[in-house]
Amino acid sequence: MSTRTLSRIGERSFILVMLAFFLLPFLWLASTAYKPSRDIFSIPPKLTFPPTFEQFATVFRLFDVWSLVSSSLLIAGGSVILSLLLGVPAGYALARSTSRYAIAVAYFFMAIRMVPAVAALIPFYLMMRDIGLLGSWVAVVLINAMLNSAFVTWMMFSYFRSLPKELEEAALTDGCTLFGSFWRVALPAVRSGVVASTLFCLMFSWNDFLYPMFLTRLDSKPISVALLSAYGTKDITWGTLGALAHFSTIPIVLIVLFLNRYFVQGLTKGIH
Amino acid sequence: MTLSLTSALRPFPALSVSYVERRRLFFILMTLPAVIYVLVIGVWPLAQGIWFSLYEYNLLKPARTHFVGLGNYIDLLSDTVTRGAFVNTVIFTVGAVTVELLLGFAIALALWRDDRFNRICLALILIPVTITPLVVGLIFRALLLADYGLVGYYLAEFGLSDPRGLFANPSSALATLIFVDIWEWTPLVALILLAGLKALPGDILEASEVDGATALQRLRIIVIPLMLPSILLALTLRTIDAFRIFDSVYVTTGGGPGNATNTLMLHAVKQGLEFFNIGRASAISNLTLICIAVIAAGFILLIRKADRKANGR
Repeated sequence: MSTRTLSRIGERSFILVMLAFFLLPFLWLASTAYKPSRDIFSIPPKLTFPPTFEQFATVFRLFDVWSLVSSSLLIAGGSVILSLLLGVPAGYALARSTSRYAIAVAYFFMAIRMVPAVAALIPFYLMMRDIGLLGSWVAVVLINAMLNSAFVTWMMFSYFRSLPKELEEAALTDGCTLFGSFWRVALPAVRSGVVASTLFCLMFSWNDFLYPMFLTRLDSKPISVALLSAYGTKDITWGTLGALAHFSTIPIVLIVLFLNRYFVQGLTKGIH
Repeated sequence: MTLSLTSALRPFPALSVSYVERRRLFFILMTLPAVIYVLVIGVWPLAQGIWFSLYEYNLLKPARTHFVGLGNYIDLLSDTVTRGAFVNTVIFTVGAVTVELLLGFAIALALWRDDRFNRICLALILIPVTITPLVVGLIFRALLLADYGLVGYYLAEFGLSDPRGLFANPSSALATLIFVDIWEWTPLVALILLAGLKALPGDILEASEVDGATALQRLRIIVIPLMLPSILLALTLRTIDAFRIFDSVYVTTGGGPGNATNTLMLHAVKQGLEFFNIGRASAISNLTLICIAVIAAGFILLIRKADRKANGR
């Protein structure tokens, strides 16, 4: 009894220490956004400060925050929709096909996702330059959707494969078309897989800065690129960056916290 | 007349040879858009990258473009900066992945019991995974800065780090980057391992407890062997990701000081998009790609072997 309680206490305190380790650094940066500038640059660093919104005022003066956020949304939204449209049907067909090539094609999609983003960047950059798409958010959507659709295909392949075939066979005998049995029977059954794939694609596209950095121009750059360019500038303080970082992290952290169940499910089921 | 009669009498007119054909066509039509898309947007640039790597090709000197065969690769193998980048990448990968696995396993074990406290903690612990790598870089710059950073100030004050900060010293910069990676990705490893733990057969664990095995014995004899597929999966994912590390290095140190934290992918980006040396950059990318393919193939074989052992498949 007592050893059990003891080990329980040990477990809990270890978890609390880990929680502090993983959360405090994040909260530290977030907190700089509410500090008056002179407290950010105090030596030694201060833990208490009178909260202020002056950093947010500076951010809105220096950056067109809404345009940055809407570019991010456009890039993330566009690539998520495109990759779901391409990846979900492909994942279904590969899972249900009895062809011996199906598994090979599925593995091909998984292999594509393992390719380092940088490897495709330079030729893709030249390709976009040649067809005149360089500088527009469309170029970023195209390449993100490529990586994401490969990922969605692989993930949905695993989800559909774990779904019993009998459901759709019953629908087919009842006179459903092939597409109907996919759309009305199989797809609703793997809702959680679709949500999980959407979450992963959203996270990837929202957080990506490598492609947008080289492929977009001033008027189409997302918030991640703005953060990077602000980061290297001398006259921008940690407070301003902390405030700007709010807009790039809070949406995605909130979405994942709310849909946390799917996130966990997707990782454990989709990757296997 | 008779023909239409027999076909009308058949219970499922669709279940015929033509149905099998139609089904095949349907599957092909469903897969084709994705395959074509990935081939055009993904595989075509990669193939071009192989082509470029065989040329002396600099965007700033287009007139001097000429075929050099494997020349770029031979240059890279004798180039000390590239060799340094390779060594850094290997040290980074081994260091980060080892700690992530050990720490992630400890966290997964502590979160194993399914209760409200553990579920909430898991959700919160996952936050580093979801935030932008760029912001992760910012966080650690802000914390470790020697003059104004909360941690960096005291480290420098007590002489535990270079007075210019951990990122500024060649001997601590790579270790600091490994630390940042551990912070960002350990939660993901913990999550994968936790899923593996929860899938373990409960009856075997209970039986071993009744037989009086200590916690450590159970861990060594039952849990770890049965968990091998999940452990290998986490190992594969993290190794491949760590090997192609770019984001956090670019944001925090940019490869410096000197070339102390230069990694293969960073080296490729610098060669390609800063010096416009497309041939060289493509060759570095392709070498990295080969390394990743070898690592991935090795691990996937190991996973299948472990799976067969654990599940008897």
